Amino acid sequence: MMSMIERTIYANTQKIKDPTLRGLAESAARLVLENWAYLLFVIVLWRFPYIVADLTDTEVQPRRPTGDSVFWQSEMARALALTCLAMSYNLLFGFSGVISFGHALFFGAGGYVTFIVLNEYDASYQQGALIVVIGITLILALFSRMNVRQLLIIALIGVLLTLLLMPGEGTLSFYQAIGLAVVASIAVSLISGVVTLRLRGIYFAMFTLALAEMFWVLAKSGTFRDITGAEDGLGFRDILPESFNPTPTFDGSRLDMYRLTVVFFVIVFIAIRRYLNSPVGRVMIAIRENEERARTIGYNTFYYKVLTMTFAGVIATLSGLLFVIWATDKRVHPEALSLKYTVDPLLNSLIGGIGTLTGPVIATLGLSLGETYLRNETFTLDTGLFGILTVWQLAVVLVVGLVWWLFRRPLQTGLRRVVDMVRRDTARAATFASGTHGHWALILGYYGLVVLLLLAVGLVIGSEIAHNLEFKGDVYNVSDLWELFLGILFVVVVMALPHGIVGTWNTFWANRRVRRLEQSAQQSAPKGNNSAS
Amino acid sequence: MLTYFANLSPQHRRSWGLVVAYVALLLAVSYVDFGYNTAGQTAFRGILLGMLVFMVASGLSLIFGLLDVLNFAQGAFLLIGAYVGYDVYTSLDAGTTVRFLAAIVSGVVFVGVLGAIMETGLIRPLYDRPVFQIVLTFGLAAVLLDLVERYYGPDPKQPLDPPGFLDNNFTLFDQSLSYYRLFIIFLGLTMMVGVFLLLNRTRIGIIIRAGVQDSEMVQALGINVRLIFTLVFVLGAALAALGGIALVPYQGATLEMGNQFLILAIVVIVIGGMGSYEGTAIASIVVGLTRAVAEQLSLEHFDAPVLAETSILLLMIVVLLVQPSGLFGREE
Amino acid sequence: MTDYILEVQNIHTFIGEFHILEGVTVQVPPGSITVLLGRNGAGKTTTLRSIIGLTPPRSGQIIFKGEVIQGRRAYHIARMGIGYVPENRIIFRDLTVAQNLQIAERQKGDLDRKADFIFTLFPDLKRLYTLPGGNLSGGQQQMLAVARALVPDNDLLLIDEPSEGLAPVIIEQMMEAIRQLSSHTTVLLVEQNFQVASRLAERYVIIEEGLSVHAGLIADLVQDRDLIKTYLGVA
Ligand SMILES: Nc1ncnc2c1ncn2[C@@H]1O[C@H](COP(=O)(O)OP(=O)(O)OP(=O)(O)O)[C@@H](O)[C@H]1O
Ligand SMILES: [Mg+2]
Repeated sequence: MMSMIERTIYANTQKIKDPTLRGLAESAARLVLENWAYLLFVIVLWRFPYIVADLTDTEVQPRRPTGDSVFWQSEMARALALTCLAMSYNLLFGFSGVISFGHALFFGAGGYVTFIVLNEYDASYQQGALIVVIGITLILALFSRMNVRQLLIIALIGVLLTLLLMPGEGTLSFYQAIGLAVVASIAVSLISGVVTLRLRGIYFAMFTLALAEMFWVLAKSGTFRDITGAEDGLGFRDILPESFNPTPTFDGSRLDMYRLTVVFFVIVFIAIRRYLNSPVGRVMIAIRENEERARTIGYNTFYYKVLTMTFAGVIATLSGLLFVIWATDKRVHPEALSLKYTVDPLLNSLIGGIGTLTGPVIATLGLSLGETYLRNETFTLDTGLFGILTVWQLAVVLVVGLVWWLFRRPLQTGLRRVVDMVRRDTARAATFASGTHGHWALILGYYGLVVLLLLAVGLVIGSEIAHNLEFKGDVYNVSDLWELFLGILFVVVVMALPHGIVGTWNTFWANRRVRRLEQSAQQSAPKGNNSAS
Repeated sequence: MLTYFANLSPQHRRSWGLVVAYVALLLAVSYVDFGYNTAGQTAFRGILLGMLVFMVASGLSLIFGLLDVLNFAQGAFLLIGAYVGYDVYTSLDAGTTVRFLAAIVSGVVFVGVLGAIMETGLIRPLYDRPVFQIVLTFGLAAVLLDLVERYYGPDPKQPLDPPGFLDNNFTLFDQSLSYYRLFIIFLGLTMMVGVFLLLNRTRIGIIIRAGVQDSEMVQALGINVRLIFTLVFVLGAALAALGGIALVPYQGATLEMGNQFLILAIVVIVIGGMGSYEGTAIASIVVGLTRAVAEQLSLEHFDAPVLAETSILLLMIVVLLVQPSGLFGREE
Repeated sequence: MTDYILEVQNIHTFIGEFHILEGVTVQVPPGSITVLLGRNGAGKTTTLRSIIGLTPPRSGQIIFKGEVIQGRRAYHIARMGIGYVPENRIIFRDLTVAQNLQIAERQKGDLDRKADFIFTLFPDLKRLYTLPGGNLSGGQQQMLAVARALVPDNDLLLIDEPSEGLAPVIIEQMMEAIRQLSSHTTVLLVEQNFQVASRLAERYVIIEEGLSVHAGLIADLVQDRDLIKTYLGVA
């Protein structure tokens, strides 16, 4: 089907006379044909507010009350921000094999740094920054092996950035604040990279975890309430320029902001794709496959890892800022720095498929929109599902199945051991009391005792469970159990589906294609020499 | 003991020197800055903290050394131990001493069983995918934290009365302290010595030490290494749980303490050298002291005890830059 | 059944995705020394590791004392009576010589029973008994690695390149020890040094790029210059 359309389109491009035009048409056709699914997806995203509005009979931009379309715009925008976070995590973990357990630090920094500098900035910072630049250059001159040219470049970049992002008088603009957040994120990447990325990967994981936890504790603590707002976080309704403020009542700016979010997502996606297809990205993947070998070939693996880490950190920072802009209360909370925003992108990358481009997108959008959709649904343990099972029965089936599947080997050997033991004991008892039939009494007595004991224990545990099951009639919110659901999903994916949804899907089709090719090759090849493989 | 010092490698001898100098410096700074009594109190608190950290860190280090798995769920084990212990301690109907012992036993057994299930069911199938092992323990830590929060609620639990036989005070450095604090130190020291004896005097200990170097070879000698793996994992989990329960009468139980101690333990094994038992023991005390002194310093000078949080990280950065394999680790 | 103590039949072993052994067959009659020959990277070590179960083969069969053993866990296979002396003399550096030997006990008292035998083979070890394994010299470490395999009663010893990197005098001593051993147990040896191999072993198997290509009596091989040249590159 697809290939027929392809051929027709290519054939038509060939009819164009002018060679330049033909070339253009050809590449345009290739672009569309190779990426039609992505393009379709982006169009749907772009039209999403209108689609929801049509479906729910609400307005895209009502005055008040706000309707479903407005609600889903924010949900989708937040989901897109989280998607970008997951993609950046996947870039690091899935494509580079670098395990960071502190990605939340970058995510939270997006909001925190931007608004702290907006609040606290005064013109004297410029001089401070210049002094820092000079200081860093001096330290590098003393302690690193850089030559004069490299040092000069670094100093120049530092000075330029300072002059660009830090005005000598007046206040900071919003864009300059974003720029400073990005610079901060790069600085953190460089520091963690220099400290740990030369060592075994586990050091990086530990270090980033400790770093992120530290900033989380600092952001939460009441000591710095003036700067960070402690648990209340930082709000910024007033600071935000109008074009960035998605408060529903504004005219136009909300939809613009939504579109900007979609554009950001598309840019991140394309940037990651380009990055992976660039020479740097390919070295990166080689490092993931076998760092030793990449180093032997002569690549400075450290440099590539730091570069990727920086890139991923910047994306995470911007996603964090975007997330705050779309937050219902327009505040950045300490939670943004908490483990949650490291675990979530990790989980989403794993479920979608680490080392795939689309995996994190599908998983994040699916899971976060799914949660929103189901959030207020309630159920009891007796609620029927699909007309076959109740929730309760499904849970039992799942738990038993999971336990059997995880422990199938130890359970099997255990069972075999028990059978062996019984057999051995029977034999022993038989010799012990041979001829008198007394051995049966012995065996029955012995095993009877064991069985009784097990029964007693079972009864106690069983009654305890039954007692606790009084909550059977209770009504649950889906959102109450959502995290538990994610936890189980996480374990199942790690154990059974290491390539995630997309990865498994891809391998499945790839294998099928290979099998087809092999079959057709075997059919066409002359008989007798198909032993080589 | 003497032979231990006689047989030290030059690197380790230098590390001992560094440790002694550093601790002396810390003590001197606190003496000059806080005066005799406060300095003494701070040091006491530091040693206490060090003992608690040791209980998490020793498991982390042993498990990493033998199984090559950095168990990020070690903090969750401490957390669960604390909450289960708290639960038992408050819900039983008996004297405090009985309840305390029951809390210890139930918490340790519960977490031990949890560890056994986790190792056999989840970690074991992943030995040929080590990255996933790390990810798994990290994810499980988050899942367990969630579960504890669901089950016990988000509010911190207040410290409980120490068991009767320890519910007395003594005076040290002009401060009245509960005997319970001495008990924690005693418990920590007992564990230190106990694990040391286990590692050096028993067949299982010898197998563990051999396995730390080359578990494949141990297996080829006819020893079921996987069983030892499980055992060590359970031991590590149980030690962490014990630390958690010990914390309950001292600090109560909060959802944060799992990660808090995990981070401290991580810093400990980075400083001590991953997989080195003596390193873990020494670094625990060093980290505990550093933390306590930094806390006192930031309290007195900035009125901001949270700043102490940064001290640990700075220590870790310095060690990673100067001696990445840690003080007592083997050069990689 | 057969009169071989160990039969390796056409095993295929993978390490990760790499197909390392592509059909290795080795037959070891009891009470003899059989040597695996082949160039560097031919798959000799992998063959030994496949037998002991450290890199289990994906297909093929391994029969030891009449029992099929492939697929069993390594410790289980070892307990059936196989001792393994790995390449590069892997001993436990942090443990003393005594502990290195104790750890190999399968039953209490194994070491007490065998101590005299071990010390007559390697007198050095008696002197070094309480020293950490890491402090031993290369040759002494190799002796310890062999001694460790002697502690329990093994019916078969797998010894991987015992002469690698040793001085000629030590090699002589090691050869003598192995010769003495072989009067008690069967030995499957990997040896690059053809001189050593030809003087020790009765039978040989040549492995070439993961495939066993030739087997027979070493006495015949010594005559066959062409064969030696083709597969071993020595003349
Ligand atoms: N972990 C591994 N990953 C990939 N290939 C491996 C691995 N281990 C071994 N190999 C390959 O398997 C092949 C056989 O290795 P093996 O160690 O069995 O050779 P060998 O005959 O013992 O060589 P030598 O005489 O040098 O000891 C070699 O080509 C080696 O490169
Ligand atoms: Mg070899």
